[in-house]
Amino acid sequence: MSRRTRPAGAGAGAGAGRRGPAWIAAFGLVAALAAGLVVAGSPRQPADAQSALAITVQRAHAGSATPTLKRRIVLLTIGSDAGAPKFGRGGSVEGGRADALQLIVLDTVKRRGAVLSFPRDSYVPIPGHGTNKINAAMAFGGPRLLVATFERLTGLPIDYYALTSFDGLTDIVTKVGGVQVNVDMNLRDTFAGAFLDKGRQKLNGRQALAYARARKTLPGGDFDRSRHQGQVLLGGLGTFQRQVAQDPAKVMTWLAILRDEVKTDLPFPELLRLALLATKVPASGIRNIPVPSVAGSAGGASVVHLQPGAYALFARLRAGKLS
Amino acid sequence: MAAPSNSGLRLTGSAGAALAVLLTAVLLLVAGCTSGDRPEPSGPAGRPASTAAPPAEPLRVQLVTTAKSPPDGLTAKRAAQRAAPGLERFLDRYLTAAFVEAAGGEAGWDGLLGLFDKPVKASARKQLDALSLGAAAPKVSAVRPHRASARAVVLYGDRRPAAATVRLAFDATADTAQGSGQVHLRSVLQLLATGEGWRIAAFDSRTGPPK
Repeated sequence: MSRRTRPAGAGAGAGAGRRGPAWIAAFGLVAALAAGLVVAGSPRQPADAQSALAITVQRAHAGSATPTLKRRIVLLTIGSDAGAPKFGRGGSVEGGRADALQLIVLDTVKRRGAVLSFPRDSYVPIPGHGTNKINAAMAFGGPRLLVATFERLTGLPIDYYALTSFDGLTDIVTKVGGVQVNVDMNLRDTFAGAFLDKGRQKLNGRQALAYARARKTLPGGDFDRSRHQGQVLLGGLGTFQRQVAQDPAKVMTWLAILRDEVKTDLPFPELLRLALLATKVPASGIRNIPVPSVAGSAGGASVVHLQPGAYALFARLRAGKLS
Repeated sequence: MAAPSNSGLRLTGSAGAALAVLLTAVLLLVAGCTSGDRPEPSGPAGRPASTAAPPAEPLRVQLVTTAKSPPDGLTAKRAAQRAAPGLERFLDRYLTAAFVEAAGGEAGWDGLLGLFDKPVKASARKQLDALSLGAAAPKVSAVRPHRASARAVVLYGDRRPAAATVRLAFDATADTAQGSGQVHLRSVLQLLATGEGWRIAAFDSRTGPPK
């Protein structure tokens, strides 16, 4: 009897009377083992189940920033009529005449701007060279003299210039896959090779160049051409922004293309910062303004005379206004 | 009586062996369970066990790099190979400053902000929560990285990297006195190569728990 009353957990020398408690103990251990398996299984639950048990260490946050640059940047973009072998244009890009001239004034704080398009035949004073067509300034003294001519004409300090050629423009547009432009008239210009219908469309490299060059068949002549050049520039900005919004690495693609196709005095860090800033400047916030002008003549040559409205525009810009 | 007793003794002996096996199995199982919940050696002593913590790994950025070099420069493959180590080091520095060393909140943010280009530094300072542990740092005792991966597109200038776009993903477990939880970073960093190394010129970043 005493053995029957021995505790179940007693030593190994237990007799026949302990058979029952031994099995109870065995079943107990099996149960414990089963429980152990359940416990052991819990850390191997799916990750989602684990996450549900974890605490929230940090709430969700999102943020973005582009460079903060000085308040206003003025950039002169120049299209040269030389240095374009694909179009049979020899010589150096810097030594040609400046046939496309846009002055970009960008308010980096308000993220707004203006593109002033100048007729290439604008008859203006050129430092050290009397009065002549503005496009001759680069042929006389390279981009530096052209910049000096613009600074004297507008009274605006110009921070940088960017220069390309017919080849450069067509290559840029081709490499970025075309630019969206709202073509504002039907064009059948054999001289420039522009055959376009009115309406918003994607222009390829040659079409973009043709649209920017067509003049002879346009009702407004040089005035219309200047506006179209500004449109192509802003179309490029819009295309850049759309592409970068889809794939931020496109910034590098565009900069690589500019590196290969554009000559500029913009130091690379500034070019990158400007490109990053440009991703956040809505194209609708940049006005395309053809500089008020009228066709005329000087010394028997066809020229364009800037009108008083042009000088009023320059004065407003000098005062920090963008319209 | 003896037979049953002997029989009983034999049964008891078998049960004892079974018990011993079962006991050993249970003990091993329990030991296994315990080690599974035991804090990682890298964590501070006495830290609450994490129910969500995968094993910690040393911080190492897995980087995939492509490059855009000038037509007359290095091949794209060679340019990518050359740029990768420097970028990897930079991203390692960034994640270390933003998360690993930020734990405890005593290191401050100067080290992290030193990795930003000057024209974007003020914006970064205001958005530390989207770039790092941010305001959560003081309550975090340790950050245990699990995954750090990046894809970079590097732009070459004159035979040297000039800029890069990096997509960065970082997952880790952060330990606090209340328990542990996951922290995540998903960023697009626009980098500028300077004389002092890479600097962040623009960013688009988010942090927080997994969705």
